[in-house]
Amino acid sequence: MDLDANRTLIAVALGRIPGGDRAALQTVYRLTSAKLFGVALRILGERSEAEDVLQEVYVTVWRKAADFDPSRASPMTWLIAIARNRAIDRLRASRQSRAMAPIEAAAEVADSGIGADGALEMSQDNARLHGCLDGLAAHERNALRGAFFDGNTYEELAARMSVPLGTMKSWIRRAMIKLKSCLEQ
Amino acid sequence: MTDATDHSGKLPEDLPEAELLAAEYALGVLDGAARAAAAQRVAREPAFAAMVAAWEARLAPWAAEIADIAPPPQLWERIAAALPAPIPPRASLWQSLAFWRGLTFVTGALAAACLAAAIYLGTLTQPQPLLATIEGGGHSHFVATVDARRGTVAVVPAAFAADASRVPELWLIPADGRPRPLGLLRADRTVTITIPAALVPHARRDAVLAVSLEPPGGSPTGAPTGPVIASGKLTNL
Repeated sequence: MDLDANRTLIAVALGRIPGGDRAALQTVYRLTSAKLFGVALRILGERSEAEDVLQEVYVTVWRKAADFDPSRASPMTWLIAIARNRAIDRLRASRQSRAMAPIEAAAEVADSGIGADGALEMSQDNARLHGCLDGLAAHERNALRGAFFDGNTYEELAARMSVPLGTMKSWIRRAMIKLKSCLEQ
Repeated sequence: MTDATDHSGKLPEDLPEAELLAAEYALGVLDGAARAAAAQRVAREPAFAAMVAAWEARLAPWAAEIADIAPPPQLWERIAAALPAPIPPRASLWQSLAFWRGLTFVTGALAAACLAAAIYLGTLTQPQPLLATIEGGGHSHFVATVDARRGTVAVVPAAFAADASRVPELWLIPADGRPRPLGLLRADRTVTITIPAALVPHARRDAVLAVSLEPPGGSPTGAPTGPVIASGKLTNL
């Protein structure tokens, strides 16, 4: 749903929240809750947990909307970061690691399919990111995927990919350095 | 426990340690203690927070791969109930029922007069038709023409693909950003909609027309409940 009009709608509505406009928060919710619920559910794996996180996310948006600066960030970037951070915090707090399937270091993970809305919203940035991710080694890309989509820690990733913790750290750090340099080109 | 500062292996072109920690925090690989420490730095150090935000922006497009999943319908009620109460109005006059009754009477008459004036002015200042190409995903779905004098909008389907379970609904989004429902569209023929009188003055240049997908019969709430798939600004012909 990263249509320019939606982006504008979300940014305008976020701008009205600091004045105490509940309808504005509801507009943000209507336009973004399906994406953010998808993100939280992917990390947490349980609907009731993801629902609790979604509630925390929008209460946070209500309180912190004044911090959002449309000249510096896209509203979806800001909201997705809040949702991922809340979901990961909850995952860490639960202290139960979810049973995670092993990742073959060299396995090519098929893209889970970009939804019609997602394709509209983020197509350009997404294409750029994908171009740079394609430039990484398969094991680096797979490690980043496990962290981004499943909220895995270094230790969980090391276990899933059967490598020592130090190796995993250097894979991820190396991958992030390459990613930044590629995206800045 | 994972110590974020302890990493083995030489890196190709080193980034400053703070930048790597920001990347690790944004990606989400830090475990409980390291993550909490990084979160504190986000709260206290604007420069570190800016690095984290930059990494979040780099990674966020990846979320487009995650399918949208609608949360249960009652979740909004839960959230609304969890919001801190609004600050009560200060002046006691504003809480007086008699005052409000009197005001309602006066404002009712005023509003009617304003509305009539607005419609009159709207038709005076916008005599020529307005056009919007309603686009999304790289192609135009509908083309709309607004006849402000008659207060109608005619919408021609361009490349809109019908969906058996959902219907396209047209919205007018004026400068305040709040979508107002105009009516349901058809994929197979032109639909002419009479714009509600109160909205006619808003159907002006630079207002946005948007199309969302709604359950049959249209949005039950008076606001878009499905995805906005296309939109376009009204411009002079």
